[in-house]
Amino acid sequence: MSHWIELNIGPVHPSTHGIYRFRVKLNEETVEDVDITIGYLHRNAEKICELNYFVNNTIYFDRMDYIDAMNMELGYLRAVEALTDMEVPERAQWIRMIMAELSRIAARMVGIGALGLDVGMLTPFFHTFHEREKIQRIFVEASGGRQEVNYMSIGGVYQDFNDKIIEEIREFISEFKGKLEEIVKMFTDSEIFWQRNVGTGILEPDIALDYGVTGPMLRASGIPYDVRKDSPYLFYDKVNFDVPIARTKDNMGRFLVKVEELRQSIRIIEQCLAKLPDGPYFNPKTKKSAMLLLKGQGDVFTRVESESGEFGVFIRGDGGVKPYRVHARSPSFKNLAVVPIMTRGSLIADLIITIASVDAVAGEVDR
Amino acid sequence: MSILLRIHQWFSFLGSFASFGVAYFLQSIVVLVFVALSFIALIYIFRKYMARIQRRIGPNRVGKFGLLQLIADALKLVGKESILPEGRDDMAYKIAPVIVMIATILAFVLLPFGDLAYFGSLAVTHSKVTLVLMFGILSIIPIGEILGGISTKSNYALLGTMRAVAKDISFEIPMMISVLAIVMVSSRSYVTGDAITGGLSLSGIVANEIIPYGIIEPLGLLIFFISMVARASYSPFDLGESDSELISGYTTEYSGMRFGFFYIGLFGMVYLSSFLISVLYLGGANGPYDNYVGFIYLFIKTDILVLISFLIWVAIPRIRIDKFVDLGWKYMLPLSMANLVYAGLFVLYIR
Repeated sequence: MSHWIELNIGPVHPSTHGIYRFRVKLNEETVEDVDITIGYLHRNAEKICELNYFVNNTIYFDRMDYIDAMNMELGYLRAVEALTDMEVPERAQWIRMIMAELSRIAARMVGIGALGLDVGMLTPFFHTFHEREKIQRIFVEASGGRQEVNYMSIGGVYQDFNDKIIEEIREFISEFKGKLEEIVKMFTDSEIFWQRNVGTGILEPDIALDYGVTGPMLRASGIPYDVRKDSPYLFYDKVNFDVPIARTKDNMGRFLVKVEELRQSIRIIEQCLAKLPDGPYFNPKTKKSAMLLLKGQGDVFTRVESESGEFGVFIRGDGGVKPYRVHARSPSFKNLAVVPIMTRGSLIADLIITIASVDAVAGEVDR
Repeated sequence: MSILLRIHQWFSFLGSFASFGVAYFLQSIVVLVFVALSFIALIYIFRKYMARIQRRIGPNRVGKFGLLQLIADALKLVGKESILPEGRDDMAYKIAPVIVMIATILAFVLLPFGDLAYFGSLAVTHSKVTLVLMFGILSIIPIGEILGGISTKSNYALLGTMRAVAKDISFEIPMMISVLAIVMVSSRSYVTGDAITGGLSLSGIVANEIIPYGIIEPLGLLIFFISMVARASYSPFDLGESDSELISGYTTEYSGMRFGFFYIGLFGMVYLSSFLISVLYLGGANGPYDNYVGFIYLFIKTDILVLISFLIWVAIPRIRIDKFVDLGWKYMLPLSMANLVYAGLFVLYIR
């Protein structure tokens, strides 16, 4: 019996985590097919980047994943630095690492909180946002920006860490350790949360590889791929951390992997703080005022591990002061593409949780 | 002398029929105003309580400690534009929220509110079958939900309605069976062993309930509590609304005061179900000196239950629909049957 109704989830549905639309064919409550429509947020970031000088483009990358802005700009700056052979002083690299991990924690807080919201728990959402707010205060202290921070710059960071910021980060980390366990307990102590997550949204590892899925989704399918480990950038090879995987391949596995990664991020930040050297925070050979004259030629492609997976940036320079082409390989775009396969035949309630556990950010999908 | 007869005496110059009419009318209004005021206080407490659990401050802008926030919200809700979906079934769409609200409010006047020192009995209705009437009125509410959901002609509302109906039906039966057990237990006095009449009236049940029935049949209390949570449709059983999946279920396309009516129905149901549990299982207005302060006992019991409901509301995620229906038919129904058998044995042998 073909007795289906078509339900439009999005673009303004509360659970689409941004602006995209799922056209769902429903047989009663069972999902028969999902069609994802994107493009409601097209901001043309890649094209605009080609009109700007290299130094102007950081903000457009901030706005791609507005939740994990630090990792986004790090991705772009690494590509520019590779293109222009710019060296980054050691202190700046450690500072970047601390900021990238803080940003990862902040983004995870949104992801986990929103997952709770989609399961129907309002309470953890506020607790996770409370923690995110503390990180954002650190960002404000360091850069002046709260969400789109624009903190890192070509050849270093815009401002040095002062003692106050370091003290704030130490304080945050020591508080957050306990707080994280409390938040995780709010989820894992709930029998219903387990019931909703275990066995739903199953993603087989071979499908994940075919679709180019990365990040916690891939690791929850049992493949321990992490850019920080497999092709280390900054000083990720000088700190100890583990890459957690889950073999359950379901939403609960994804949640547990994300939580374990938060613990690893705390470990990384602690080691970074211990190893933070003195020295310049900006490439001393370059003047900030001369940034507009920066030139680059050739093709580069660099990768960083953002909150939702591998974030790659391709830049082609034609020797001029502006990039000829900028392209971002954004993780959310690839991760979202696999949702129809994960949810075909499941209940609509599972579809919502699967979307939440994919944790795609619309700015990154429609760049 | 009950308050009803008092008012009747004051207006006796109008003749028996008219004076009773006036008495019923005035007393209903007094009781409903009091219930509404305590209800508003509870919503304020709920918001503060929820905020405290969620590390927020809660309403604190309008009035001292945000006390006027609720009034401001109500004014805002009344002032909002009423957006009507195209292609609606007009009559059904407009009448549905009214049905839900009126049925909820109507159920309040059937409650035995107990005594209060000078005023005497505060119960409005002195019918012998208030229990039957109460559940009759409660079964009107799903009609409002169905009308509202289906007349909107929206897929979200349609799915929400189907869920709400599935939810109401699968928990209506265990609830009724556990109420039946109460009727059986209260049909015989466990002090003297004599048969007692008035087992179908809520005030009759309270009068017989010298030991709270929650102690005699804790299983029944559990079943009734869960069923009432499901009927009042708050988390974990808020499948009719399920705001993350179906936006707002059958209320999706309602705006302004029409949504407000549904909202009153929802919160009123939480309050009403707490009243019913305290009447049926926790001894209602009974307690020491209940001829003077019975009313206050009832309110304290109810408010504690409402706060427990709120705690459940903020702490527990939404259950999935298939698990939910399973719970109703596979676990609650057999358990309520067992409870009924136990009640029968209790009346026959244990007493």
